Amino acid sequence: MTRKIIIEPVTRIEGHGKVTIHLDDKGNVDKARLHVTQVRGFEKFCEGRLFWEMPLITARICGICPVSHHLASAKAGDAILGVELTPTAEMLRRLIHMAQLVQSHALHFFHLASPDFLFGMDADPAKRNIMGVIAEMPEIAKKGVKIRAFGQKIIEALGDKRVHPNAAVPGGMAKALSLDKRGEILNQVDDIIADCQFAVDLIKDYCLQHSEEAASFASFRTGYLGLVDTDGNVEYYDGTLRLKDSKGITLEDNVASKNYLSIIEEAVEDWSYLKFPYYKRMGYPAGIYRVGPLGRLNVADGCDTPLANKEFQNFKSLGSEGIVQPSLYYHYARMIEMLNTAEKIKQLVQDELICSQEIWVNSAKINREGIGVIEAPRGTLVHHYWVDASGKIEKVNLIVATGHNNSAMNRAVYEVAREFIKDGKVTEGILNRVEVAIRCYDPCLSCSTHALGQMLLEVAICEPDGNVQQVLRS
Amino acid sequence: MRTLVLGIGNPFLGDDGIGFSIAQELARVVKDENIDVKDANLPGLNLLELIIGYDRVIIIDAIMTDDGEVGEIYRLKPESFVKTVHPASSAHDVNLATAIEIGKKSLAEQMPADIIVFAVEIQEVAEFTDEMTRKVKEAIPRVVNLVLEEISPSEE
Repeated sequence: MTRKIIIEPVTRIEGHGKVTIHLDDKGNVDKARLHVTQVRGFEKFCEGRLFWEMPLITARICGICPVSHHLASAKAGDAILGVELTPTAEMLRRLIHMAQLVQSHALHFFHLASPDFLFGMDADPAKRNIMGVIAEMPEIAKKGVKIRAFGQKIIEALGDKRVHPNAAVPGGMAKALSLDKRGEILNQVDDIIADCQFAVDLIKDYCLQHSEEAASFASFRTGYLGLVDTDGNVEYYDGTLRLKDSKGITLEDNVASKNYLSIIEEAVEDWSYLKFPYYKRMGYPAGIYRVGPLGRLNVADGCDTPLANKEFQNFKSLGSEGIVQPSLYYHYARMIEMLNTAEKIKQLVQDELICSQEIWVNSAKINREGIGVIEAPRGTLVHHYWVDASGKIEKVNLIVATGHNNSAMNRAVYEVAREFIKDGKVTEGILNRVEVAIRCYDPCLSCSTHALGQMLLEVAICEPDGNVQQVLRS
Repeated sequence: MRTLVLGIGNPFLGDDGIGFSIAQELARVVKDENIDVKDANLPGLNLLELIIGYDRVIIIDAIMTDDGEVGEIYRLKPESFVKTVHPASSAHDVNLATAIEIGKKSLAEQMPADIIVFAVEIQEVAEFTDEMTRKVKEAIPRVVNLVLEEISPSEE
């Protein structure tokens, strides 16, 4: 008998997703799929608009990482204008980007992921949530709120007090950083760095204490992709693409981000709106790779700040040939990055040049194509625009982090399902573990609407003809 | 007393932009230095940072209920909101109601004493567009008036 198990929706990830698990005749897992609800028509929506508008439009397509889209879009605009930014404009772009990374990583770790570590994956769901953390470990919950507020304050300082950034424009930035704001950031940053170090220690201890579980939980081999700087350090704003295989062998290095299409292709599956990018030379699905915190740390040689680099070296020693495979280590990598980006904020604001008024350059030139690539919190983000001679958008291609990780997330669900479903018997605890596996990737599925509504965890076991045989609820 | 009027929604996602459109409209007419009008396209926890520090917050959002009529307007308090929208059996997602709960428990002193939600029933959004359904669009002036009444009770 072939059955289909559906988990819907996946809670505690941002946005909506649905999981189906297909069983074979013997009741073992045949395939597992994460379906992402995607809103269609973005390309058509953008056609005919000026590239100047794109940083504002794209900042609004996603409520989760607006700054990332905003900056990737502005970078594509820089390329269309053919300009190089002033040093201050680039520093400010980096500052707002680091602020978003700190903020996003803090939200994910403290509010969404930490209950699983602090209470254990099998703890009662009534306790294993952020409310439980607040009730039992209020100091930890407060640190999360504090780090987020710090990041948000920087974004607002540069974005003219608006919730959605209008900070970057093609050619630079719209607004300089005031001396007052710089002073405020400097006053707070050491405290924030200490809190980030606390978070690293928390997840590091967990991983060491649960190394066996971490090593076997949703662990599988893939390639990894991320940006690195000229010294091979983890890079978030600019740099070149590096791709390694699962054994740590560098397959691609120093690839200018505008040449992303020379190494990446996208596959299409009829059951998902989201495409499946893969490494061109290895083909699909052999060439699947992962991006985001684990991808970035796996491809890099170091971090360019002292505290984070120390943690980076510890982290690397856990893998073989510098490659750490288990999905759970995403959380560890994410916290090292949070420390790294907080330290980077300090370095940036210590330099007086960051308050210069020279923040924008214009050009009369319009190149017909522009590509902007950055490392968003969840991984490599590509904005690729084609424009007409007047700068109106003719075509848009976006590759988002959740897209790069699409194959890997499906694989993670498959690995977990295989462990927990044998001979038609579904072991208790599978639902939460599927969620935990997906949550490692911090997927952003929020292209669907955010409208208020009920979210329940539901498992439907279906017959081959689609009839629901049994419904389980969390 | 400091008040925040916050419209939630994405103006490029059709009906989902209702909160945004109402906030735009209110930003033009509200000229009181103690009242801030903002718009945001952010989910639960991100909203928490926006509302802390205010005494009163009026949130305008889109809603999809099982049997509501498109364009219908609801005035909700967080108490009823938790009951109607957030299932008691599953406290592990982070929606607006949960975010408010988190705020109350971890940042009590900074949380607004008064939170009101105006929600407009919308149709499901499937593609990017800046056009709203007619019935949802027609709700804009009505909600604008409701919010104006809410923020100026002394003039009633």
